[in-house]
Amino acid sequence: MEKPSTLLVHFDKGSAAMAGEIKADLEGSDVAAKVDAMKRAVMLLLNGETLPTLFITVVRYVLPSEDHTIQKLLLLYLEIIDKRDAAGRGLPEMILICQNLRNNLHHPNEYIRGVTLRFLCRLSEPEVLEPLVPSILENLDHRHHFIRRHALSAISSIYRLPHGDQLVPDAPELVERALASEQDASARRNAFLMLCTCAQERAVAYLLSNADRVAEWPDLLQMAAVDLIRKVCRSPNRADKGRYIKIIIALLSSPSTAVVYECAGALVSLSSAPTAVRAAANTYCELLSSQSDNNVKLIVLDRLNELRTSHRDVMVDVVMDVLRALASPNLDVKRKVLDLVLDLLTARNVEEVVLYLKKEVVKTQAGELEKSGEYRQMLVQAIHACAVEYPEVAGSVVHLLMDFLGDTNVAAAVDVVLFVREIIETNPKLRVSMIQRLIDTFYQIRASRVCSCALWILGEYSLSLSEVENAISTIKQCLGDVPFYTVSEEGEATDSAKPAQPVVNSVTVSSRRPVVLADGTYATQSAATEAISTPSVAPGSLSSTLNLRSLILSGDFFLAAVISCTLTKLVLRLEEVQPSMVEVNKACTGALLVMTSILQLGQSSYLPHPIDNDSYDRIVLCVRLLCNTGDDVRKVWLQSCRQSFAKMLAEKQFRETEEMKAKAQISHAQPDDLIDFYHLKSRRGMSQLELEDEVQDDLKAATGGFTKDAYDANRLNRILQLTGFSDPVYAEAYVTVHHYDIVLDVTIINRTKETLQNLCLELATMGDLKLVDRPQNYTLAPESSKQIRANIKVSSTETGVIFGNIVYETSNVMERSVVVLNDIHIDIMDYISPATCADVTFRNMWAEFEWENKVAVNTVIQNEKEFLDHIIKSTNMKCLTPPSALDGECGFLAANLYAKSVFGEDALVNISIEKQFDGKLSGYIRIRSKTQGIALSLGDKITLKQKGGS
Amino acid sequence: MVVLAASIISKSGKALVSRQFVDMSRIRIEGLLAAFPKLVGTGKQHTYVETENVRYVYQPIEGLYLLLITNKQSNILEDLDTLRLLSKLVPEYSPSLDEEGVCKTAFELIFAFDEAISLGNKENVTVQQVKQYCEMESHEEKAHKLMMQSKINETRDVMKKKASELDKMRMERGKLDKGGYSSISGPRVIEKTFNDMSITGSGFGSGSGLGGLGMDMDSFASKPKGGRPSAAATAPGKGLGMKLGKTQKTNQFLESLKAEGEVILEDVQPSSVQSRASPLPPSDPVTVTIEEKLNVTVKRDGGVNNFDVQGTLALQVLNDADGFIQLQIENQDVPGLSFKTHPNINKDLFNSQQVVGAKDPNRPFPSGQNETPLVKWRIQGMDESSLPLSVNCWPSVSGSETYVNIEYEAAEMFDLHNVVISIPLPALREAPSVRQIDGEWKYDSRNSVLEWSILLIDQSNRSGSMEFVVPPADPSTFFPISIGFSASSTFSDLKVTGIRPLKDGNPPKYSQRARLVAANYQVV
Repeated sequence: MEKPSTLLVHFDKGSAAMAGEIKADLEGSDVAAKVDAMKRAVMLLLNGETLPTLFITVVRYVLPSEDHTIQKLLLLYLEIIDKRDAAGRGLPEMILICQNLRNNLHHPNEYIRGVTLRFLCRLSEPEVLEPLVPSILENLDHRHHFIRRHALSAISSIYRLPHGDQLVPDAPELVERALASEQDASARRNAFLMLCTCAQERAVAYLLSNADRVAEWPDLLQMAAVDLIRKVCRSPNRADKGRYIKIIIALLSSPSTAVVYECAGALVSLSSAPTAVRAAANTYCELLSSQSDNNVKLIVLDRLNELRTSHRDVMVDVVMDVLRALASPNLDVKRKVLDLVLDLLTARNVEEVVLYLKKEVVKTQAGELEKSGEYRQMLVQAIHACAVEYPEVAGSVVHLLMDFLGDTNVAAAVDVVLFVREIIETNPKLRVSMIQRLIDTFYQIRASRVCSCALWILGEYSLSLSEVENAISTIKQCLGDVPFYTVSEEGEATDSAKPAQPVVNSVTVSSRRPVVLADGTYATQSAATEAISTPSVAPGSLSSTLNLRSLILSGDFFLAAVISCTLTKLVLRLEEVQPSMVEVNKACTGALLVMTSILQLGQSSYLPHPIDNDSYDRIVLCVRLLCNTGDDVRKVWLQSCRQSFAKMLAEKQFRETEEMKAKAQISHAQPDDLIDFYHLKSRRGMSQLELEDEVQDDLKAATGGFTKDAYDANRLNRILQLTGFSDPVYAEAYVTVHHYDIVLDVTIINRTKETLQNLCLELATMGDLKLVDRPQNYTLAPESSKQIRANIKVSSTETGVIFGNIVYETSNVMERSVVVLNDIHIDIMDYISPATCADVTFRNMWAEFEWENKVAVNTVIQNEKEFLDHIIKSTNMKCLTPPSALDGECGFLAANLYAKSVFGEDALVNISIEKQFDGKLSGYIRIRSKTQGIALSLGDKITLKQKGGS
Repeated sequence: MVVLAASIISKSGKALVSRQFVDMSRIRIEGLLAAFPKLVGTGKQHTYVETENVRYVYQPIEGLYLLLITNKQSNILEDLDTLRLLSKLVPEYSPSLDEEGVCKTAFELIFAFDEAISLGNKENVTVQQVKQYCEMESHEEKAHKLMMQSKINETRDVMKKKASELDKMRMERGKLDKGGYSSISGPRVIEKTFNDMSITGSGFGSGSGLGGLGMDMDSFASKPKGGRPSAAATAPGKGLGMKLGKTQKTNQFLESLKAEGEVILEDVQPSSVQSRASPLPPSDPVTVTIEEKLNVTVKRDGGVNNFDVQGTLALQVLNDADGFIQLQIENQDVPGLSFKTHPNINKDLFNSQQVVGAKDPNRPFPSGQNETPLVKWRIQGMDESSLPLSVNCWPSVSGSETYVNIEYEAAEMFDLHNVVISIPLPALREAPSVRQIDGEWKYDSRNSVLEWSILLIDQSNRSGSMEFVVPPADPSTFFPISIGFSASSTFSDLKVTGIRPLKDGNPPKYSQRARLVAANYQVV
């Protein structure tokens, strides 16, 4: 383990040259200058300077100072200097400070005593501590609580040192006695914690003997008690568990919410009995509703979520309490609550939950809250999820939700319409009423995407004669009178059309942005979709009912194509249900008229953009079809569409169940995992693997105590040769990449017969890398070797380069010799890991990120799928496009890849490739990220690797 | 429950100040801090971020983040409390909340962080307490220093006294040995720093003590000389054997003091001998004593029940010959001040010229050791604001204890000596536990009175407080609090500015003393 760091202070003006100045100031008698000099000395030390000569100056001139600030700075200084030599022995000059520390421990000023004791907590040199122990013990009975507090923690940390029990053999007894007579809350806590870690049985005895009074303890002490109970009860099957649980129950009514929170956690770890879990869950729910802080709410929800995974049956009962947290105005909280609740649905509570959600939806309508649209979308999705799982509730909500089809929040409206689409397929009983409702509310729909989906539903599910007729008439009504535009009007219309121009123009300006579709195809976005986001009433609309007309007049020909298809479908259906051919023909001609009008509009100069080819082709196809119907075509239009939709739903459900199964199958322990026998553990001298429990695990992980890189073959792959074999100094390095740092373990071998003096490994970096330590000088005997370790800090995902050279002196050559090292390239792949995100978020990020790197595909791989796998493998990313969408041979492939860096940066990749006639693949790989570094480095990586074949 | 580090970083991830509370490597903490700004989302309404291993709880402060790094099991409620406390501390110690300002006060911030979080555990402290801890103002240290100083002074005094006694004794021995004035050669040899004048003076003085030189006495007294050391004049001669023994003891004491490292001044300076004149009985032929007595009853909730000052001007004339004088006085104009003179005093003269003189110019003021009161006065109707010392007592019952907070506040105009505040307590088995005190305390268990004494209240400690804890008691038991003190200046500020002899000749030498005494000063 490296030397721990206890403080950091930003300081950029430091140089070793300041040492002289500092020394002069320290020797002077001006207190202010001395304080300043001490500060500078500490900062220089933190900056990596060693200042070895300063110590004696400090001992001579700073130690005797009476000033309090100087004394405190002195302690900081002592805290950060090296107190051991290279071999790990304590430096002998440390004895010099002992006397001073002892004096401080007897100082009349209680605060000087206190801070000195606190400093001793951080000291781990037994040589220094030993002579101070009697003075520390004396301070235990000082009448000022500030001193007692720190004396107790000092004793605790000394006792915990290796061999600390020899320094203060009777520490537990002393502390126990102190605890019994102590009044100060903080000092009691420190004493109790000391007993918990060093003499658990005493702590337990104290706790049990005071069991009745625990509820009156100060909260600090209560926290420590809960902690102890948790620790004690970790061993399973303890007979006296009941006594502890009783204490915990008493503490649950503590006035301090922190204690209550802690108790709930302890309760769950103590017992898995439903009563205990229920009590914990109820406590969390109470906290959830009583605490106004969002942080607390979110974390409590996390805890509840953990409870859900382990004790689902209990959690089901508190679902309504959890739901109450929806009252929080914070969207994150609401989202988490909804997620949690959706996982807790059962046939019994679903009615109630949906009822509550419905009420919430109604509430969003009433109060014009900020972001109510977004919240409504979340609610709609939640209800959707409920309805999918428990179809019987759909009927009670779907009509309410259909009111939101005309919602100004497009996303919410889209969700509603998708919901309706799914329900109408899966719930045939509701079909009639839903179609009726849809026809009634259709004119309210403003968004083009919602319109097209709603039109599809009308076309697909209008079955009876009256429904079909109503649908056709509604569409016609919404389109208004045809033609949309006549040639004769042209001359006059130019004027009236003019004011419309700017509106349309403003839309088209931003229209040329490519977007990635859900299936990974890379499409050019038409102007129309963005036009909706500004729900302005398009020109030419006479009233608000003419929603379709206004959308078409704003240039949305995709919607026009959808209208045509829907009309075609409805007419075909009409042929089946309408006995009177006259009526059918009437409808057919009406539909044809609409279509031709659209085509005419598309080709006129009225709109800045003419109709696109795709829409044109589809409309023409519809026209042909209506003129010339046949049985097979009819079958395609009237049945296959529906079947493929049903298939899609089935596929989706299948995927979900597969995922569930896969999740359930993750094994909890591998056959060759290490098993910990708690009872065989010794109290002291734990190895890395034998950690006490999850709390300590957690702490260990947080402080970076885990270094889990195994000494496997991979490590050998990472050896880099830095110099040539014939150089006087040979050097090679292991590069170990941790999360935020890179460690270079450099082995240096002196290949000459001379002693190399002042050998120094100088490193420089490019990119977002920073050296942590300054290089030190070494002397290398002939043909000996030396291990040097260099730490490099990384702060973002970017390819970095480390340059360096080795500088040394020999006895016969006066000037220094230099050996230049090979560059070390740090690979970006070490920093990114596969991750998943929802389609919508992917597309949002894609639209938002500024940096794009476009790489043309150039590869020897002939198969699209194989190429995709190759890229995935070489970039360490995850393919978001479902495998079913990548199936089949069509000579074309589009996929989205996603990864996240350890620094939380997102990397997005889209691959669009096409097989040429000559069998080669062509296309583009686009990389987008928020920062330039990732886009560039990933691009380089792909360029390098895409060739494949090897 | 463990805070790994408390840090302040800039929005770009530059670690300005960071204090770690558990062992972690430098590269780790720097990495954690550098990663933080990238993890912070914008537009979030919560202020914590969790990564795989740690949780950051943060608060933006202008262009900076104040940040706690905790493990993931840490109790968020406690951490938020701690963060709240720190966010209040930061502006206290760093007046400008930008990178430069924080860097400048980095160490002060670290000290403050240390007080708020002890080894990763939360401390229940307030901003006020942290400030107090960081200021490190310790009464104990002051008291210790004061004690050391007074010890030094005391030994110095004792030493001087002994030295002068030694001198005198030698001189007397010389006199006894050789008789008459020839003995002066003795002290001269021993103590060269004594000037001639004082030696002769001491010669006369000791003579009068022996009672054999009454004739000389008169002439001597009628011709007062400046700077006459009264110490020697009044020290009565005593048995010789005893003295010798005493000196030896003193010497031993001094020796042992010296051995203990005390700085002892060997030579006795004459100036310090003179300075000791005041505590001894008056030796000037004419002495004027001005004394004011305070009768105050203050209500505990504020307001004055009774506040009056009674003053006396008294005269002491040692010899009849010096009795033919008039005193010129002067006083400050205090509202409510009314004078009363002795029937034998010439009232007209007093009222018109503020001169105190006898009605009958041929009758001298009475002489002797007794003081003769000449003028009396009263000051009435003063309000609370003129109280020289106000005492507030706040008993509060908390749980099974009663906390009593007492504070005093002294007015600017007086420097008070020997202040003793006596607080009656309920009958206790043991002494109350005094949590905090400015000054000294003493518990008189027989009378159940806690005495809080402050030697001197001057500019440096115009206010002070004490806190002690006793078993639960009715708040009224702590009253009436009685207070005693003295001061060297008076309300009326009456002074004698000069003495006019009625007969020809020089005005006799006179001295005057003024003091204010609290005769009955109570808080009821």
